[in-house]
Parts: sequence; C-alpha cells; structure tokens
Amino acid sequence: MMVVVFASMLLAFVFGWFGPRWMAITMLAACLIASLGLFLFEVYSPEYGFRMPWIQTELEGQPMPAQGS
Amino acid sequence: MRAGTTRILAGLNYLYLLAMMAVIAGILTTAMTLQYAYGELPCPLCLLQRVALFGVCFGIMLNFRNGFSSRNTGFSLLFAIFLLVVSVRQSLLDIYPRPGHEYIGSAVLGIHMPVWSIIIALALLIAYALKLAVLGGDDHLREADARTFPIIHRLAGILSIYVIALCLINLVSVVVQCGFGQCHTFNYQLLQ
Repeated sequence: MMVVVFASMLLAFVFGWFGPRWMAITMLAACLIASLGLFLFEVYSPEYGFRMPWIQTELEGQPMPAQGS
Repeated sequence: MRAGTTRILAGLNYLYLLAMMAVIAGILTTAMTLQYAYGELPCPLCLLQRVALFGVCFGIMLNFRNGFSSRNTGFSLLFAIFLLVVSVRQSLLDIYPRPGHEYIGSAVLGIHMPVWSIIIALALLIAYALKLAVLGGDDHLREADARTFPIIHRLAGILSIYVIALCLINLVSVVVQCGFGQCHTFNYQLLQ
C-alpha cells in the first residue's frame, strides 16, 4: 500500500512537470486518498479501535495492559 | 496598484515559495540522511509524513511550472494539514511510555521526529498564513508569471527536479523496505 502512495505521488510530480495537469491532480488525489486509508489502517488497534485510553486521565493509577498496535 | 509595486510583491511571493520548498527539501534530505547514514528505518507514519511534505512541494512546484493558481496553494495546505494530523496522532501514540511504544529514532536537539513534524506542519501553516496576510492575495501573481523572474524560476526548476529525485529515491527505498505489503521498521524486507 505504501508503494502505491509513493508511486502515485511520483506520478503526480511527473505529470505536474510534463503534463497533462489534470492527470497530475488525479494522481495527487489518489495519493491523498490512499494515504488517508493507510493512516487509518496504521492507527487502528484491534483492542482500542481509534481510541487512545492511555492519555485519558480517568485511568490514572490503573494498570495498563500491554499491547502492540 | 502601481506596476512596480505589483512586480515587487510578485517577486517576494515567488521568493517566499522558493524558500519554503528549499526548507522542505532540506528536511526531507535530513530524514533520508538519518535513514541511510545512521540506519534509522522510517516507520509507516513517518513515511506518510514524508508523503505530506512532498504534497506541499507539489503545490509549490505547480505554481512555478504552470503559473500561479490558488488551487495549488490549496493542495499544499491540504497536505500541510495531513502532516499535522499524522504527526499529532503519532506523538499521542508514543507520548505515554508503555510496552511496545516509544518514540522511534534518535532525538534531534532533544526533540523526537513526530514532535518535529508537528512543529514543521505548524510552521508551514503559519508561513502560508503570513504570506497571505503580509504579501497579499494572488492578483499580482496572476499579472506577473514566475517566468518573468528568470533567476527565481531557474532555481525553482532545479529545486523541483531535486524534490522529484528525492521522491523517486523514496519510492525505491519503500519497495526495498516494505515490498508490496505492510511496512515494518525491523529491516529491509527485500534485503533478507
């Protein structure tokens, strides 16, 4: 997926330089959408979802379960 | 507005954009130096932050290449906001010490990379806001094309090619590090 993100960004640059401009913007939009999708995939945790309970002060003093995300 | 003033404002605008692109190119070069010279593999969110910086450069490059358009400024601002979102989230992921979570890479001037990214994203947004507030709108930029400033235009061309080359190197690097699957920070997958 990261390859798609960088490849579309490179294509956006190449089309931005040589044209056509609409193709460059299409590639840039594809890059941004793929980046957003990848970002959401990377920060999603099976245990916490998109929440971040470790920065909630109401859990202060309670033991935090070990997890990897 | 007098023609002379318009030209000065346009020149300052293009100089400002050129300086922004030079700073971003410097940041990307530093990140790649840390990766290749010091063996610090970038994490997936770190790579997305690089993409965001390339996106900001893309908007600036189009302003020099195809003539000024507010749309290009919009592209740059979109990617600057994306950079801010990704870097804030990454900082929040690692802000509370717990097993399996710590800031990746070495600190530069005592500040780790995702926190630097927040500073850079805010600096970019402030830089754009200042440009719009101090140097004004885009009327004078439409009247004076970047090509009418030969030195700035030539430097912008060289810098744009440099940024495109950086993007190409990053693409190759990502293929070697991640293959066509998920990225990890353990090693370069294709060099196993």
